[in-house]
Amino acid sequence: MTPQFVLEGVVVGLAVGSIYALIAVGFTVLYKSTKILNLAHGELVLFGGYLAIAVTSAAGFLPVPAAFALGVAVTLLAAAALGFAVERAVMRPLFGQPLLSVIIVTLALGYVIRGVMVGIWSGETRTFPPVVPAAVVRVAGVPVSLVGVWSAAAAALLLVLFSLFFRYTRWGIAMRAAANEQLTASTLGVSLKRVFAYAWAFAAVAGAVGGILLGLWLGVNFALAAVGLKALAAVILGGLDSIPGAILGGLLVGVVETVLGGYIDAHVKLWGQPLHGFKEVTAYLVILLALMVRPYGLFGTEHIERL
Amino acid sequence: MAYARPCGDFKTSYAQDMALLDIRLYRWGFAVLLVALALAPWVLGRWIYLLNDIAIFAVGATGLSLVMGFAGQISLGHAAFMAVGAYTSWFVTSQLRLPFVVALPLSALVAFAVGAVVGLPSLRIKGLYLAIATLAFQFLVEYLIVQTVSGMGGTPVPSMDLFGVPVNTEVRFWYLVAAVWVLGAVFATNLTRTRVGLALMAVRDRDYAAQVLGVNLLYYKTLAFALGAAYAGVAGSLFAHYNRVIGAEHFSLAQSIDFVAMLVIGGLGSVWGPHLGAAFVRILTQLLKMWAPVLGALLPVLGRATTSVHDIVFGVVLIAFLIWEPGGLATLLRKLKRYVDLWPFPH
Repeated sequence: MTPQFVLEGVVVGLAVGSIYALIAVGFTVLYKSTKILNLAHGELVLFGGYLAIAVTSAAGFLPVPAAFALGVAVTLLAAAALGFAVERAVMRPLFGQPLLSVIIVTLALGYVIRGVMVGIWSGETRTFPPVVPAAVVRVAGVPVSLVGVWSAAAAALLLVLFSLFFRYTRWGIAMRAAANEQLTASTLGVSLKRVFAYAWAFAAVAGAVGGILLGLWLGVNFALAAVGLKALAAVILGGLDSIPGAILGGLLVGVVETVLGGYIDAHVKLWGQPLHGFKEVTAYLVILLALMVRPYGLFGTEHIERL
Repeated sequence: MAYARPCGDFKTSYAQDMALLDIRLYRWGFAVLLVALALAPWVLGRWIYLLNDIAIFAVGATGLSLVMGFAGQISLGHAAFMAVGAYTSWFVTSQLRLPFVVALPLSALVAFAVGAVVGLPSLRIKGLYLAIATLAFQFLVEYLIVQTVSGMGGTPVPSMDLFGVPVNTEVRFWYLVAAVWVLGAVFATNLTRTRVGLALMAVRDRDYAAQVLGVNLLYYKTLAFALGAAYAGVAGSLFAHYNRVIGAEHFSLAQSIDFVAMLVIGGLGSVWGPHLGAAFVRILTQLLKMWAPVLGALLPVLGRATTSVHDIVFGVVLIAFLIWEPGGLATLLRKLKRYVDLWPFPH
C-alpha cells in the first residue's frame, strides 16, 4: 500500500463518501423522527436515479443543462410525493405496531417500488446525457473525474442546507422536537402525523438526490439499491440517531471501501485466485465490526433498558 | 375422549393435559392428514413437484418460526443458513463421497454450529441492530459462495440414494421430504411446549424480565438461532439434492425475505403458521411464474411489467397482511374455527 495509493483512495473515497453521507442523513432523519428503520431506502435511491434519467432523456429537445435541471426538479417533487404517499398509505396504519412488522413492511415496500421500476425501466444500466464534461481534475495531486468533484460539492452543499433547515425553519424545529421526545412535542402542538409525513418526504428526497449524484458519476442500474444498504453501514457506524454521526460514517465508509476494498481487490489472492468485488462487501464488514464493538455507533445514544 | 371440546375442563391427569391431540376430532384429523400426505402422489399426479417444493421451504420456515416467532429475534439471513446446509451436503456427498444419510444430519449439525456463532451477538445487539447484522451475514455468505465454490454459475450436486434405493423421481423424493417435514414439524411443536419453548417465548416477550426470572439469555438466544439454522440446513440439504444445482441465486437476500414473508403471511408464533405460509408463498410464486407470460400476452400494454409481477404482488400481499391481519393465516383460521364453533350465535 503505497502512500500514493492511500492518498488517491482517500480523495476518491471522500467524494463517494459524501454521497453516502447524504443518503445516510435521510436515513437518520427518518429514524430519529419516526423510529422506523427504512430498509427500502436503497429503492428510493434507485427511484431518484431512474426517474431523473428518464425525464432528462425525455426532455432531449431542450439543451442538456436545462433538461437536467428539469429532470432534477421533477424527480425531487416526485420523490417528495412518494414519501408522503408511503407515509399515508402504508406507515400510518402501522403506527404503534411492533418493530418486526414495521421492518418487514419497509422491506415489502422496497419490493414493490423495485418491482414497479423493473417493470417500467427494465434492469439495464442507464446513464445521463453528458451533463458534466468527462474531464479529470487534480485534487491534492490526485486525478479525480470532474463529475466526482461536482457530486461531492453538491452533497456537501445539500448537507449544509439540511442542517440550516433543521436549525432555523419552523418544520425543522418541529421535527427535531418530535425526534427528541414524541409525547412532549405532541402536547406542545406539534402534529406528529405531519412530522412523520415530512420525515418520509425528506428521506425520499435525500435518497433521490443521492441517486442522481451517483447516477451522474457511475450510471444507474439495479446494483444501486445496494448503495442504500451501504448508507446503512454509515448510519450504524455513526450511530442511528446522530446526524453528524451519519455524515462522518458516510465519509468513513467511503474511504474504507475505496482504500481497503480497493487494495484487497487488487492485491490479495485467495487460493491463487484474485478476489473480485470485495469492495462491495467491505461496507457489511464495517457493519459487523461496528455492531460488535459499539452497537450504538460512534455518536449514537446508548440505549439503556429498564424493566 | 370426546369428539368436540367439552365445556369445562375434565382432564384428570397431566398426560391428558399435555396431549397434543386431545380430542377425538383432532386425532382423526391428524390421521386423515397423514393418509392424505401418503396418497398425495396419486391425487396430484405430476403436480406433486409443487408439494415437494412447499415441503422443503416449510421445513426451513419452521426453523425461522423458532427464531422469529417464538424467540422474537429478527433474522434476515435465513437463506444463508440454508446455503450452509446445501453446501455442506454438496461437500459431503460429492467431495467426501459419503451417502446422503450421513450428509443430511451433518448439514443440520454444521448449520447448527454456524447458527450458534451468528446468534452469539444477539445477546448484545437486538431489534433493529440484529436485523442489520443478519442482513450483513446474508451478504457475506452470498459473497463467499460466489468467490469460493460456485462462482456466478451453479454447482452440480450428485443425486442421492437412501440405503441403496435411488431417490430419483418426484414421488420417491416426496416420501423422503414428507417424512422429514412431519418429523420436523412435530419436533418443533413439542419443543415450543417444553421448558425450552417457554423460555424462548419469555425471551421474546421481554428479555430482561426473562433474565430476572432465571432464563439464561445467552444460552436460549443462541439456541434459538442454532435450532432455526439447523432446520434451514436440513431444508438446504434437501433442496440441493432435489434441485441438483445450487448457486448464490438460490440463497439470496430475496429468498431470506421470502422466508420472512412465509412467516408473516402464515402467522408469527403459531405452530401452523410456517406451513400455511410456505404453502401460500410457494403456490403464489408458481402461479405467478405460470401466469405472468399469459398476462403479458393478454395485455400487451403491461409490457415488461409482467417480469416483475412477482415482486410487486409479494410486496403488496405482505403489506396487506401486516396492515389488516398481522396474525396471518393462522389467526384467520382460528377466527374461522371460532365462528363455526359458535354458529349460529355471534358470541
